[in-house]
Amino acid sequence: MHTLKKVAAILNPPAPHMVGDGFRVHNFFPSGYKIKMDPFYLLDYNAKIEFSPTNSPKGVGVHPHRGFETVTIAYQGAVAHHDSAGNSGVIYPGDVQWMTAASGILHKEYHEENFSKKGGPFQMVQLWVNLPAKYKMSTPKYQAIAHSQIASFELPDQKGTIEVIAGNYKGVKGSASTFTPIEMYNLRLNAGAKATLSSNSHYNTALIVIEGNITVNGTGHAATNQMVHFAHEGSEIEIETNENSVVLFLSGEPINEPIAQYGPFLMNKPEELQQAIEDYNTGKFGYLEE
Amino acid sequence: MLENFQSYLKERLAITDEQAKEATSCLKSKTFKKGTILLSPGDLRSDNYFINEGLLRSFSIDEKGKEHIIQFAPENWMISDRNSAVFNEPSVFYIDTIENTEVLIVPNHFFADIQKLLPHILELNIKMLHNSIRFMQQRINMLLSATAEERYLDFIKLYPNLTLRVPQWMIASYLGITPESLSRVRKDLAKRHFR
Repeated sequence: MHTLKKVAAILNPPAPHMVGDGFRVHNFFPSGYKIKMDPFYLLDYNAKIEFSPTNSPKGVGVHPHRGFETVTIAYQGAVAHHDSAGNSGVIYPGDVQWMTAASGILHKEYHEENFSKKGGPFQMVQLWVNLPAKYKMSTPKYQAIAHSQIASFELPDQKGTIEVIAGNYKGVKGSASTFTPIEMYNLRLNAGAKATLSSNSHYNTALIVIEGNITVNGTGHAATNQMVHFAHEGSEIEIETNENSVVLFLSGEPINEPIAQYGPFLMNKPEELQQAIEDYNTGKFGYLEE
Repeated sequence: MLENFQSYLKERLAITDEQAKEATSCLKSKTFKKGTILLSPGDLRSDNYFINEGLLRSFSIDEKGKEHIIQFAPENWMISDRNSAVFNEPSVFYIDTIENTEVLIVPNHFFADIQKLLPHILELNIKMLHNSIRFMQQRINMLLSATAEERYLDFIKLYPNLTLRVPQWMIASYLGITPESLSRVRKDLAKRHFR
């Protein structure tokens, strides 16, 4: 017998701040709200915003990461990316970039050149997905997942599509490989659609309304830019759309390990942070031109 | 927000919590947004800034408009322009915030004022001054004699996490090298150390 997953809170986006000069983000966690979302450590949401045209692309310069994965999901606009492992690419609307920083990588992220020149609406999500201790120092890797490659589940009566970025939705297997069990979907639903999601009751779970207006479990109403956070009770989530809507769904098995974080490093112990700083300072993360 | 300064005193003087609280009760904290100038050349101010949270720097600007960074002051550091703080002469340097910062304002007369309460404070102050002179001498020696790489390696020993908080050009300015030389140093280190 499946029971509905209890809604813990419907959260407004916290006040935004700039990351570099190219991302105006609302940090839902860990600073915005103190909610349990392990294995997701951080969620920066760049709500839709207009960027005016410019010849010098805005963004974030070279910076390191160690101990986790960054996942960038583009909804509007385009971001160019380069890293010290020699990977580069452009993340367009619908694409997902899943970068496993693990033992250490340097990267930079800027608005793609043509997008910068033309300007326009920009909307992105960036997540930090934690890694269990035993994988924190594994070799960095990079999954560039184009929108067209993302496996999807079609709702009956052309009511919409559920794009399975990671995990498994009704037999459709997610495109990204993950280190711990994670369900991550983009729901692109037409008005009047109904979709049911399920996830283990002990998984930490939330969704963000990227666009539109939805009703969750019959009673909870969430509008554009709001997050719905779920309690550890029940496993089923029913979503009904009141208009055409896009929803990002996140659910994951908690890693439940100690956390030590400083700036761009996410480890288990303070001494591992010291080591990360020293390794970064002495070139052990490699080199990337500004 | 006096706790950090109280701990700072307690770690260096054998005093009780109560003594630390009483000694610091007259001090006020203040917050500043990133990019705020706290002191400019010509200002007369007897304040030292103890950093609770955030990051300050002192610097000068030459005739060509180029900035030269004298000192960074992250958490638990104290910064001032001694021209005005100690000698009551016009300041020579700028002091501004690199991050949103909370400082405790420690007037220069603070150390004399609390002597009765904390008899060892003057000794501590002298020791801190000597420590500061020691580092200043090391910095002069580096600027006169060391290679760019040696200066950088000395910098990361003194300020391990500032490479994550400060733009490259500011580190280059502090080291007295061009941003291009700093990039070269970091690139060379990566070539030797990246496995």
